[in-house]
Amino acid sequence: MEMILEIIESTGFANASVSSLVMMAIALFLLYLGIAKRYEPLLLVPISFGMLLVNFPLSPLMLSPDNGQPGGLLYYLYMGIELGIYPPLIFLGIGALTDFGPLISNPKTLLLGAAAQVGIFITFLGALAFGFSPQEAGAIGIIGGADGPTAIYLTSMMAPHLLGAVSVAAYSYMALVPIIQPPIMRALTTKKERAVVMEELREVSKTEKILFPIVVILITGLFLPAALPLLGMLMLGNLFRECGVTDRLSKASQNELNNIIVIFLGLTVGAKASAEYFLTIQTIQIIVLGLVAFAIGTASGVLMGKLMYKLTGGKVNPLIGAAGVSAVPMAARVCQTVGREANPSNFLLMYAMGPNVAGVIGSAIAAGIFLALLN
Amino acid sequence: MYGFDAISANNGWFIAATGVSMVFIGLIVLTLIISQLHNVLALMEKLTAKPEVIPETKPTIRVPPPDPSDVETTARVFTPLIEELPSEFQLSELYALAKEYHLPHPHLSIRCLIENGTLQPLGEGVFIFIPSCEE
Repeated sequence: MEMILEIIESTGFANASVSSLVMMAIALFLLYLGIAKRYEPLLLVPISFGMLLVNFPLSPLMLSPDNGQPGGLLYYLYMGIELGIYPPLIFLGIGALTDFGPLISNPKTLLLGAAAQVGIFITFLGALAFGFSPQEAGAIGIIGGADGPTAIYLTSMMAPHLLGAVSVAAYSYMALVPIIQPPIMRALTTKKERAVVMEELREVSKTEKILFPIVVILITGLFLPAALPLLGMLMLGNLFRECGVTDRLSKASQNELNNIIVIFLGLTVGAKASAEYFLTIQTIQIIVLGLVAFAIGTASGVLMGKLMYKLTGGKVNPLIGAAGVSAVPMAARVCQTVGREANPSNFLLMYAMGPNVAGVIGSAIAAGIFLALLN
Repeated sequence: MYGFDAISANNGWFIAATGVSMVFIGLIVLTLIISQLHNVLALMEKLTAKPEVIPETKPTIRVPPPDPSDVETTARVFTPLIEELPSEFQLSELYALAKEYHLPHPHLSIRCLIENGTLQPLGEGVFIFIPSCEE
């Protein structure tokens, strides 16, 4: 009888709490969004599943080693985040997947990527005003960069207890780019501006593409060493892609390595969203502030686009400024969609890819600045 | 502490202003350098480009197209070529030289010179030039 009672007491049913059940419900809802609604499924599915696994009552997956007993699987996998390993490796894959040609061809779009980072710093102020510590405020502000790996990297370095909330907010808003951005873009531009057809991009030589990652890393590495882990890997991946003699490394970075790290990263980020950290007022504040960051980033990008429209005598379509928030390539696609509403023959996608990849560089620099100033 | 007090107490204004400025400065510097990258490459290409080498071609002997049956003219045209060869030479060598100098009708001309006796066979395809036949 005692044994039966022991078995019953060791089940999840006997140990379930309301908070863990709520977290499991949230995990299942996110799983639904990832699978049925296809919102960033490659990340949302492992994140929500990790969240589900860790919120089971008595779940051993995140237990640390104790009394000679080894820790849980996700505890060890989480070391990859705690030690700052996974996000730079994800950047390696992003670099290998990204064609910087549109940016090299039209380098002034880097300024759109810079403008879209303004949201990060304004939200940083907002988070301070809400009572968060400077490190926490930096981690919350970086959501405005709409760059998942950067948000995870910075949060794991500065405010690891917010990792679950920040990453869920970051990826949710990235998935909601097609819903959040268009109203802001339409509100800040006239139909005439949205209809602008841009000049054809010049062709970029192979030598330029090879030199680009080297030049970028030389400048940013000297300018801001704290950004090197992210930007260094981004540029290494891109060099693998462009140099023409490391095809195997480029393919491994794009596929096998990237996919493995996405699984580890997603699972462990989800595992960090346990009830004690997630079901708090802070989480709601983070989600609200994340939305504000994202909206301001979009707006500042579009406003910079409008400035460039004026300065160039109407040659720049201000919509491409909205792509300055990273969210590659979703934000660029949104520019294309909104642009075609005003001018069905317009094709903005390639022009928007410039600020879009500039946003990746910009948000990594912003993260480096926070690390340099606050850590 | 909340609101503006919290921002001021944590140096928020300074950090935000510095952060925005650094992002802009960094990306403006990158913009300037990348926008000049193709110009620098073009300049380097220009500086390192080797001067155009004009292929050295042997001068074409400008002569009126000889009538192969005109032995005297043909022998005169072929004389400088034969002088480039050893005294005893293969016909194929003379033919190749005639092609190199773009002489018209090399086959017919050489046959004419043989028939005329200006080129004397020594056996095994080796010939010798007899200038006296020319005069």
